This record gives sequence, structure tokens and C-alpha cells, in this order.
Amino acid sequence: MSRTLEKLTILSGAAKYDASCSSSGSKRANHNKGLGNSDGMGICHSYTEDGRCVSLLKILFTNHCIYDCAYCVSRRSNDVRRAAFTVEEVVDLTINFYRRNYIEGLFLSSGIFKSADYTMERLVRVAKTLRQQHNFNGYIHLKAIPGASPELLHEAGLYSDRLSVNIEIPSEVSLKKVAPEKNYPDIITPMNYLSDEKDRYKDEKKHIRKTPLFLPAGQSTQLIVGASPESDLQILNLADGLYKQQRLKRVYYSGYVPIATDNRVPVLKAPPLVRENRVYQADWLLRFYHFSVDEIVSEAHPNLDLEVDPKVSYALRHPEKFPVDINKADYEMILRVPGIGVKSAMKIVKSRVHQRLNLDHLQRMGVALKRARFFITCPGSQYQHKDYEAGRLRQMILSSESVARQTPQLSLFG
Amino acid sequence: MSLYLYDGSFDGLLTAIFECFADRCEPIDIVNEEIYQASLLEDLRPVQTDTTKAERVIKGIDARSDGVGGELVYQLFLSELAGIELRIYRLVRLLVRQNDPNILENFANPDVLYSAQVKKMISREVHRMHAFVRFQKADNDIYYAVISPDFNVIPLIGDHFQRRYADQPWVIFDTRRHYGLYYDVNNLSFIDASSDILSFATVNAAVNSSLDGLEDQYQQLWKQYFQSVTIQERRNIKLHLRHMPRRYWKYLIEKQVGRK
Ligand code: SF4
Repeated sequence: MSRTLEKLTILSGAAKYDASCSSSGSKRANHNKGLGNSDGMGICHSYTEDGRCVSLLKILFTNHCIYDCAYCVSRRSNDVRRAAFTVEEVVDLTINFYRRNYIEGLFLSSGIFKSADYTMERLVRVAKTLRQQHNFNGYIHLKAIPGASPELLHEAGLYSDRLSVNIEIPSEVSLKKVAPEKNYPDIITPMNYLSDEKDRYKDEKKHIRKTPLFLPAGQSTQLIVGASPESDLQILNLADGLYKQQRLKRVYYSGYVPIATDNRVPVLKAPPLVRENRVYQADWLLRFYHFSVDEIVSEAHPNLDLEVDPKVSYALRHPEKFPVDINKADYEMILRVPGIGVKSAMKIVKSRVHQRLNLDHLQRMGVALKRARFFITCPGSQYQHKDYEAGRLRQMILSSESVARQTPQLSLFG
Repeated sequence: MSLYLYDGSFDGLLTAIFECFADRCEPIDIVNEEIYQASLLEDLRPVQTDTTKAERVIKGIDARSDGVGGELVYQLFLSELAGIELRIYRLVRLLVRQNDPNILENFANPDVLYSAQVKKMISREVHRMHAFVRFQKADNDIYYAVISPDFNVIPLIGDHFQRRYADQPWVIFDTRRHYGLYYDVNNLSFIDASSDILSFATVNAAVNSSLDGLEDQYQQLWKQYFQSVTIQERRNIKLHLRHMPRRYWKYLIEKQVGRK
């Protein structure tokens, strides 16, 4: 027990820098009277003291590593205690945590020991044991080790819900500098392979009903923000490409936590949390608000505004599109109003069929009027956006939110 | 104008609503007779619970709401909020008068908006129970959890846990309302405080001498895990509390410190 406790301490401590925690979007229903069910929304069973969701048992199989990536605690040249689990230990922890409702499943990553395949083979064995010997239908996210063989990746796809290959550094030039053993082709090739395989299974399913599940929750990756000089424009373009070409389900962004005392990465006083949050907000605009990258950042403004969120920033740069008439504008445009989220926008278009909406209605429906009021017209609205030049409007928004801004506002839009 | 008294059950409330319509009477209020404070000024109308009438009301609601109204009204009832009965009556009245299922999407109507808000509160509580229930394995191999939710959500959470833990027996007990759920690997049933199943383990999680031998070990491992995944450089207690309000900590093994 004390040995397991020690391993768990080391190997969860080393895994915590991976931002991914999602356990949603799978379709693995419990119909074999087994253990677990993951056919719905993911659940956060706890929250760390830094406010992040704890949904999965997130651990490394081992923190031994033959590589030397400057941004990583587990890098070969770093002097840390090393440990490695056995397959049985990981399986036992997963099952017992799951039965007590601590977790939705397992997120297993690993340092690379011996070789990519040697490592990948162990990760696959954990997933296979859980599925086949324990009838486990909980969520499994495995790390796809760059350079692992297609056979192993294929097997991994059969037993897990999601696979991820982390890009970490948002350009190949920078990656080469900080992670000399890595290259983009080794990362993108498995992504493409898995995406093609998933398609193939989907096709097959049309003809053969009993086709096995293959990566029902798709793929994700992570980009580190602030460990290399890329602009937000570069980061968002890369993410956009990954969504479109590799058809990733999620790109996670991780503000660089200055753990390394390695002179290949910058020395920061604190992780760039505000920037990280802005990039997440921009990512949401891409995925749920029908924005394109060039509407959010451009060659002229390659970085996100740290003072206001990207939606406000868009609205300020496009005075010609505002104010938006709440009772007439189409859904797409209502969605672009700062302070109106997807849910409020839906409520607005559904309700206005029955009656004309006024400011009071909007407030009660949960629209954040503090921001929205500058950009809308409806009975009761008083601000006429046209009256203000962008600079003044910006000041008004900032001062009306100054109280809120004193505490780091790290939530997404309402 | 009368004040309707019902027996506190859902069927009782539905019967009262039935009688309001039958009497062609706008109720002043509909009140659970157990908590009703007598007053001489009111015209009282006690209602005898009648499941046939109750069923007719539910059918009527469902027929006018594309089948979603019955479930909505049940959830509102489980909120146990003060005055919820009259709110439910008004929602039913709206559905009957408008006879248009889309009326439940007019959030500019105060009764519709209120129902949507209460429904959201209930869903959030249900979601929190899905998240924060912690089972402890007892030496009879049953997994036990105690909860004391703000709303009466026991009837709403059984399916989720049954689907998830199809192969293990478990109990979830509401210590505030003194009843709970028991799943024996085949059937899900309601139990009350006198159930045999509870006598194995005191339902009080903290003092329990009949835990499984390995239970403590897994609790220690989980606590350690919880400790080591926090990134100190990112500590943000405000955010932590927003997601995990203090009133839920009593369920959470990882937030119990000191116990060895
Ligand atoms: S390969 Fe992975 S574990 Fe190894 S040093 Fe690089 S990032 Fe860290």
C-alpha cells in the first residue's frame, strides 16, 4: 500500500500539467451488466484547489523518459524521483476509484521508456484488461505516444474512448529548439491515421451492425501557451487546422507553468493564466459561435486583447454591425453580442415568437446586460452604441467591469 | 376563492389542481395540510387524494405540452420550494388555456421563466449528486453513500447510478428526508430508515466500524491523489469554492482532513 501511495504521488504529480480532463462525448453504454457507463455528459467529481475539474484518474504509467523536452518535468535531464506502475496497479486503482464514484474513468499518459512501442504496448494492455477482464464501460483516455506503430494505435482505438497526441509547442521551429527528439510528422501522422481509421469504422457501421466502437470520443491535443514565441494568431490558426483537417474534438491550451530550470524555455514569474483564458474563449468562439480565426485575430492584431474578452474585442472593432435588434436580428448575430451566450440566444429567438422582448425580459433570462446593453436595441434599452467611438466604449466597458476584473475572471461566457 | 389543502403527496397536489378546475375556482393557495397554519379568515377546501383524478391531470398536461409537462411539474414539486404548489397550478392553467406546447418556450412569461429556473436548480442538484456522491464499501459488500440534498432529488438519481453500477449493490440514503435507494444488482427500490440494509452500517459515514478491510486504503489513496494534482502555481481558492461549495464538502472524502 505505501508503495502504491508513493507511486501515485509521483505519477499523478507529473501528469497534472496536462490540461485535458474531459470525459464527455463517448457512446459506451453499459449493456453487458458490467461496471460503468459513459454515454453522456462528463462529470467533474471534484475540483482541485486551482479550480480545475477532476473527472478522470489522470496519471503517468511511468515518468522515466528517454527524451529531454525542456518544458517537461519528466525530461531525462531533470533530477526527479522516478517510478513506474504495473498494469495491475493501474487497473486496480481505476476500478476501485470508479466503484466509489470518485472518477469517470482513466486518463493514462506516460514518459517514454525504452521506445515508443514498448511504452504504448503497456498503455494498451491497461485498457484491454479493463475492458475485457473487468467489463469496464467507464471512460478511457490514452496518450498516443508519438512514433508508436499503427498496429498498437489501432488496438488503442478499440479499447479507449479518446486518444491524444500532444503537440505542446505551437510551431515546428520552436519545437525543434525545446524538444530535439520530437518533430511534427511523428505527431501529425498518428493523428491522421486515427482519424482515417475512425472514418473507416464509421463507414463499416453503415453495412455491418456489429462493428466495434472505435474512439467514440475522438482525439484531442494540447498546446502550451507562453513557452515559445508564437502569437495567438499562430496558435489559433494551428488549432483551427486541427479541428478541420485532423478533425480533433478538442484542443486544450495550457499556460506554461515555469517548472523547468532549463535555459531553453523562458523564465516566467507566473503562468500566463489570463492569456490562456483568452485563448480558450477564442477557441469557444470558433467552435460554438461560428466565428472564423480572422474575425478574432489578424496580421494587424496578432494577439488577443488581455483586457477584454475576444467577443467584446470583435464588437469594438466592428461598430458597423451593432447595435443588434433583439427582436429582429437573426440567431447568428444575436450570438455575437457580448454578454449573450448560446443558451440566452436560444431563449431569445424562441421567446420572441410569442411576444416582443424588452430589456427587463432579457435581464430575467440571464443575459449579462452589463456588457450586452452597449450593443443591443430593444424596448427599454438606452445606450446607443453609435454615439460612442470605440475608444470611449472600451473605457465604459472596462470601468463597468473593473470590480469584476480585480479577481482573475477565468470563466468562459455565460 | 378557496385555500386548498392536500396531503403533501404529488398525487394529492394533482388532485387539488383537478378540484380547482372542477370547482371553476381560482385557488388563493394550495397548501400541504401538515404544515398549514390555521387561520379563521380562509375558506378551506380539504382535498381527498384520488389517483384517478391525478392521472387525468398528468395526461392533460402531457397532451398539451408534447409530453414534457408531466415530468416538468414533478420536478418542480420535488423542489419543495415554498409556494411551489400555486406556481404549478398556474403553469397547468397556462397550458390548458393556451393549448400550445411552444408556450413552454416563452421565457418572457413569468410562470414559464420561473419553472425553467427551478428546473435548472433541480438539474444542477441532480448533477451535483451524480458528481459528489461518494460510496464506501462495507464488509457486507454493499457500497453506501449518504446525502442531504437541498431538493428532494432521490427519485431523480436512481437511473443514473443503476446504469453505472449495474454489477454492484449500493445504497444512497437521504439523511434529511430519511429515505433512500437500494439496488441489489437486480432491482432498484426505495427504503426507509428502518430498512435491514441500513443496520449493517450506521448510515453515518464518519463513524463506521463495519467497513470493508480495504476501504480505508482506497480513501487514503484518493486523498493523496487529490492533494498531488493541484498545481501550486495556479492555486485559485475562489474558483475552487465556486465549483465545490462548502456545503457539499461533508460528502467528499478528499475534503475530510485529519482522519487517519
Ligand atoms: S517525451 Fe513526454 S514525458 Fe518525455 S520529456 Fe518529452 S514531454 Fe516529457
